[in-house]
Amino acid sequence: MSPVQAIYRKELKGFFLNPGFYVVAFLCSVIFSWLFPNVLSQFAQDLQTTVFQPDMAKEQLNIHYRVFLPQLNILNLVLIFIVPALTMRLFAEEKKLKTFDLLLTSPVTSAQIVAGKYLAALTAIFALCLLALAYPLSMLAFTKFSWGPLMVAFFGIFFVGAVYTAMDLFASSLTESAVVSYVLAVILNMGMWFVGMGADMSDNQAVREVFEHISVNQHLAGLVEGTIRTSGLIFLGSLVFLFCFLSERVVESARWR
Amino acid sequence: MIEVKNLSKTYGGTEAIRNLTFQVSKGEVVGFLGPNGAGKSTTMKIITGFMSPTSGQASVCGFDVFESPLEVKKRIGYLPETPPVYGDMKVRDYLRYVARLKRVEESQIDNNVTMAVAKTFLQTVEYRYIQHLSKGFKQRVGIAQALVSRPEVLILDEPTVGLDPKQVSEIRDLIKQLRGEHTIILSTHILSEVQATCDRIVIINKGQIVAQDSLENLSRLRSGTRHVHVKIRKGSGAEVALKAIPGVQKVTQGVSDSDWQLETIDKEEMIETIATAIIQKNLGLLEINSARADLEDIFLKLTYGADGNTGELRGEV
Repeated sequence: MSPVQAIYRKELKGFFLNPGFYVVAFLCSVIFSWLFPNVLSQFAQDLQTTVFQPDMAKEQLNIHYRVFLPQLNILNLVLIFIVPALTMRLFAEEKKLKTFDLLLTSPVTSAQIVAGKYLAALTAIFALCLLALAYPLSMLAFTKFSWGPLMVAFFGIFFVGAVYTAMDLFASSLTESAVVSYVLAVILNMGMWFVGMGADMSDNQAVREVFEHISVNQHLAGLVEGTIRTSGLIFLGSLVFLFCFLSERVVESARWR
Repeated sequence: MIEVKNLSKTYGGTEAIRNLTFQVSKGEVVGFLGPNGAGKSTTMKIITGFMSPTSGQASVCGFDVFESPLEVKKRIGYLPETPPVYGDMKVRDYLRYVARLKRVEESQIDNNVTMAVAKTFLQTVEYRYIQHLSKGFKQRVGIAQALVSRPEVLILDEPTVGLDPKQVSEIRDLIKQLRGEHTIILSTHILSEVQATCDRIVIINKGQIVAQDSLENLSRLRSGTRHVHVKIRKGSGAEVALKAIPGVQKVTQGVSDSDWQLETIDKEEMIETIATAIIQKNLGLLEINSARADLEDIFLKLTYGADGNTGELRGEV
């Protein structure tokens, strides 16, 4: 078993054998169970009245736009606050409990440590995303819809979750305190959405284009509608890589500081 | 086995260690002795590759700590000051995890874990969560963790700190048991620990080595006086009688008038001379022993300097 696997398995057990994770999952499902039926019945009502409103936009009659996307938006909101809670202890606690010494004196490279921890956190996030996906999928019991776009949209949100995970892991590597790591991570996650707003503040064409390109919204927009663009995948992928690389540098810095 | 050359480490302007040079050969048990903050832990961290030095070199089993850190780490078992244990893991699971991190062959893991558990007497708590264990057990889990990969070199940073006297003696026995199988460096500020377990001593103070030699050679360095403690039945007039014994330089009274501390010239036969004199003068000899403070004297002399201020410190060390 490689060290990455060993760390991955240990951290995964830390998530899935911990009651805290199930409490979080339960609370998430409470939010989904409250909002999803609401949105769904609103959509059903609108469908019934559409006879009287012939000029209604076609998008308004599509379950993907009216029901599934709001669900994914909620998932995104939940992830902004839940991912930091799952990742905050990954490095901060190791440093505080001095178990970091064990990792750093084992024949394991910093990259392997980060990879093991990142993949474990990603698996936990994936489980939460699956929970959210169960609600739209339950619609298959009542109706027929095209599930391709739903899967692509879901994948898009999960990919954004992967970016959060990388950023939050980085936040955790910076400090010994889980609370500081949590706050920093939430701010980083929210910042991802605000950075695109810079596009509206500038008249310069080049600056606008740069801001539009680094805005997650821009890249997610295609995915949630069911279109896969390589530019979006590359952008999100490079964010994941960047923050994992930064975490690796921080871990490595403990050796030469 | 372990070679350290001109090692220095500076933390933001403060010099933690300066120009350390020493060797440890295979199978040796070396005690790192020094007051708190002398640089013991820093030196150990550098040898394990946990930290890099400001200048100088260190190598373990022929591998340079900085050139090939992974090779070095495979051969080292390290117990830091705080045992690096996860509270939410069971003892056995934790040791398996450490074995995997240390790249022990998958088929060997169970064997090694059982061996480490047996050597540190953890059988009774094997399947309990570490957070529920007492400090002594946690410390033992920390030692088991260092042993689990069967490393050639063991580095133990204050292995007995915080343990009760029974546990301390158990861990000392364990270290004696491990002698020969592993090359061991252990740090401590407790003298009797070094006397009980080590072949060789490196005394370090304010980041520098002040003495390194075998136990006997260091003992020969002693100051030329010997401390003898006697207990007698008849206290009255004892002081004069004791002072009259040839070779006795100083007599001080102990807790009661039957307890006396003698400072004598350094000769093996002094005990015999004193005993004979007391019996001849019919003072009623109850107890006589040569205080085993030899090493302590040397340690205090080397680390705290002049004899004058050792009096109050002696109680502490």
